[in-house]
Amino acid sequence: MQHTSGHLALHFEYNSQMARTIVKVNEQRQPLKVVRAFELEGGGALVHVHNLSGGVLAGDRLALNIDVAPRAQAQVTSTGATRVYRSRAGAAAAEFSVHVRVGEHALVEYLPDALIPFAGSRYRQETVVDLENSAGLFWWETVAPGRAARGELFAYDSLRLGIELRACGVPIAIDRSDLDPAARPVRSPARLGPYSYFASFYICRAGAGESTWRHLENELLDLAGRLESPVIIWGLSRLPAHGLVVRAMSHNSRDIAAGLVSFWRVAKRSLYGQDAVIPRKIY
Amino acid sequence: MQLADSALPIGSGAHSFGLETLVAEELLDAETLDCFLRGYLQETGILEAAFCRAAYREAAAGWAELNQRLSARKPAQESRAASLTLGRRLLQLFVALEGGEEPGGDWHYATAFGYVSRRLCIEEDLAAAVFLQQTVSTLVSACQRLMPLGQQRAARLLWDLKPFVLETARASRGVDPDSVGSFTPVVEIASMRHVVLAMRLFIS
Repeated sequence: MQHTSGHLALHFEYNSQMARTIVKVNEQRQPLKVVRAFELEGGGALVHVHNLSGGVLAGDRLALNIDVAPRAQAQVTSTGATRVYRSRAGAAAAEFSVHVRVGEHALVEYLPDALIPFAGSRYRQETVVDLENSAGLFWWETVAPGRAARGELFAYDSLRLGIELRACGVPIAIDRSDLDPAARPVRSPARLGPYSYFASFYICRAGAGESTWRHLENELLDLAGRLESPVIIWGLSRLPAHGLVVRAMSHNSRDIAAGLVSFWRVAKRSLYGQDAVIPRKIY
Repeated sequence: MQLADSALPIGSGAHSFGLETLVAEELLDAETLDCFLRGYLQETGILEAAFCRAAYREAAAGWAELNQRLSARKPAQESRAASLTLGRRLLQLFVALEGGEEPGGDWHYATAFGYVSRRLCIEEDLAAAVFLQQTVSTLVSACQRLMPLGQQRAARLLWDLKPFVLETARASRGVDPDSVGSFTPVVEIASMRHVVLAMRLFIS
């Protein structure tokens, strides 16, 4: 079986005469594709990343490069949940690498739908984000246990997820998970406990001062308390510098998705004085 | 032996690293503690042992970056601060006992343990095993104050975990700390939520 090597390279540039962000597709190799960009209020641009395969197949090598020039505002989302299909015996794991560079005073909002690793799938995802001075980031990720509606929970073979966030060249958050449910039960009391879904949301702005983060942390703590319910728990904490991370574990994906949007709204208003513009396809 | 003693005066007894929240929120009890600690060793244990070994081998030029990268691996502020505090105190104690100067900069407990072990000419594998034993002992000690866990049961728990501690120490040998996965969201979120617990015995 032939493996796919998809590559999408997006460049976002701020046009000061038009007072808006312009998107250039420097390369797109199937199955990754962008059809068009949508103008956002406030001068940003939204693109949906399509996967024409309908999901990630065994052995796929996919790469997404997002380059955001100074002052540009980019919002990137998926067209739906990322489904990772079953791997055939002996097939290589599917791989997806994401590299994001955010220039001075620019902003990236990377807001994909949930990742759903099917039974028997093997998947590796590696993300690197470089923030230059005053660059901002809203980045979330939600991971499902599998096709939960079919009762398929943690039946994937392996799931390796990694992200490294750097601000002005210094690592501020590194998260690597290597999940192998057969060898290391995901619902161990040291891992997910009784929960099935998990999510992370990074909120960063390089160079923002201590008081900014203290104020935002208090706002988000208050929100976390209000979002509390028997099906979901939230936690949030300041990173070593330049940002915050919000984490959630839940019995369903619905509460995570709604909660992430609530955190995003508060954080964007606090850090940018702007409303969060929700990608219209899903909400 | 003295380095592995839970009575080492660096203040580790004041930290639960999120366990206080887990117990308060009924996500951890005496029945699930053994399973919890095994999972913890497989994830956080191997990660920190890999950093301990890296610090053991690292030259002075790489110390700051190594500790910076371990800070980035700790999303919960309280646990990160606790690790840095214990690292600083271990180095201060070492200098007080052995003389010389502190290496300078921020040090986590795992990296400081590796550094001190190297300076004391303790063999690397042994240092990693002792570090993990000390880590588990600290967590069990915290649990004795958080749940109905008597001394005999705690001793049995630690005794039964010894082969697993050694296995984890062996598994961390030759491992690049940057490549190690660690998946403990329940512990991280518990540590993040510790700050809003109504009543707290521990600093973290």
